[in-house]
Amino acid sequence: MKLWIGGAIFVAILMGITWMMAGGDIGANDTMGSLAMLGALATAVIAIFVSIKYVRQIQEEKAGGDLADENWDGIGEYKNELPMGWALLFLATTIWAVWYYLVGYPLNAYSQIGEYNEEVAIHDSEFAGKHANMDMQTLVKMGESVFIVQCSQCHGLAADGIDGKAANLNKRIEENGVRHAIMNGANNLGYAAPMPDRNGLFNMNTGALITDAEIATVSKYVANGMKGAGEDVFQGTCAACHGSDGKGMEFVAPSIADFNPELVATVLKHGKKGAIGAMPAFDLLNEQQIKAVGAYVTSLSK
Amino acid sequence: MFHWLEKHPFFFAVAVFVTIAFAGLVEILPNFAEASRPTIGTKPYSTLELAGRHVYIKNSCNACHSQLIRPFKSETDRYGTYSLSGEYAYDRPFLWGSKRTGPDLMRIGNVRTTDWHENHMWDPSGVIPGSIMPAYRWMFANEADVDTAYAEQVTVNKVFNVPYNKPIPMKDGSTEIVMMGASLDAAKAEALADAKVIAADMKNQDVKDMVASGKIPEIVALIAYLNSLK
Repeated sequence: MKLWIGGAIFVAILMGITWMMAGGDIGANDTMGSLAMLGALATAVIAIFVSIKYVRQIQEEKAGGDLADENWDGIGEYKNELPMGWALLFLATTIWAVWYYLVGYPLNAYSQIGEYNEEVAIHDSEFAGKHANMDMQTLVKMGESVFIVQCSQCHGLAADGIDGKAANLNKRIEENGVRHAIMNGANNLGYAAPMPDRNGLFNMNTGALITDAEIATVSKYVANGMKGAGEDVFQGTCAACHGSDGKGMEFVAPSIADFNPELVATVLKHGKKGAIGAMPAFDLLNEQQIKAVGAYVTSLSK
Repeated sequence: MFHWLEKHPFFFAVAVFVTIAFAGLVEILPNFAEASRPTIGTKPYSTLELAGRHVYIKNSCNACHSQLIRPFKSETDRYGTYSLSGEYAYDRPFLWGSKRTGPDLMRIGNVRTTDWHENHMWDPSGVIPGSIMPAYRWMFANEADVDTAYAEQVTVNKVFNVPYNKPIPMKDGSTEIVMMGASLDAAKAEALADAKVIAADMKNQDVKDMVASGKIPEIVALIAYLNSLK
């Protein structure tokens, strides 16, 4: 009886607090507000009723049944049946755990590499869409930024090769570069037939191997941008592969008269080893960036 | 069994420990074994490269340069493919570094060559305007410690079974063999032969003279190591 009276007082206090906090806003015609108060009352009454039920159970009920064999310092345990709800829940959890361990987690697990691949795919498709059709000006601009990031560490910000530490890209080729190629041959760019060294270079005008004097002249001639003395040597010796205008032939030899985007792309793909030193192949760049660098480098010597 | 355990707290604690430890091993070991296996294309270091690695450690290069490329687009654009744990299989100790005052060097061998390193180590700001990296000119005169490098090779070969003188699978399907000399003299001769290849691409006359007279300057060993980072 005491419990029931206490419960009623507690419900009254709860309702009073609720009314103090929200009641002022509830008018006579406010159906929603009245319903909410009714709901609060129902919740409080049910809560108190359930609490009292269990308290009385603790107070009055006695446990019974067979004792299990175990005994811990006089404290025993009854052999109670498993509650059905508990048993079903346990079974369901076990089945779920097996599913989660074998299927749920492995197939949906977070992967850092997976997130990276998604990030790259999104970026690449955006990049390809945005830069699908670039005009020359945009290409050169993009080429310049790629150059500053990837190429300037060796070729310098002005692309001048920093006092001979790398190739000066403001002109196609230096005199000692030509001489180095003639003396040592070259097989930098993956053509089927490499360029032979001086022991394989015939001057068709004289019908003999290229001489020291001819090497000196033709090196100056090529480095000068195909101008001045040495044209006859060039036509007799080099033109067979590099073309009479020095602009190269597809699948045979690169242009040594000027830069073109294809040449730059080939150098980026194969790297290069020449008079100054070695340049590694660059596979960091994508297709459009390679095109852009080609356009930029070509634009430097124009 | 369980009744007995329940009455003996000490052995009960031992049993709990063993059970949990076993569960931990079952979870950790398979993944660990998989991830720490060398990736295809990862080679052990040659004698000269190891000597260069010691130069790298001695000069605390790892205080400013990391060797760990994280899987972010911004990093892979700049440094190359992200790092895999198996690529560090032969790094003892690893040189991941924790701070990037300078750029990451995990794959520096793909984008720089011997002559660039020579210019850069002699005068960094001469190649990269505004670089705050100090010059390391003493490396052009100091001799590299090949003895220690060879000792390390022999040790890791014996203790960890690092595959020297054995074919190692490469990415393109071929195999490569990293040699370890049978004796200290053989290892020194091998390192010198490697050093001559590097020095041929260098311009510093003192370095060339040293290598020609049979000594290996630190810079040559360091460049061999940096070129091997791919």
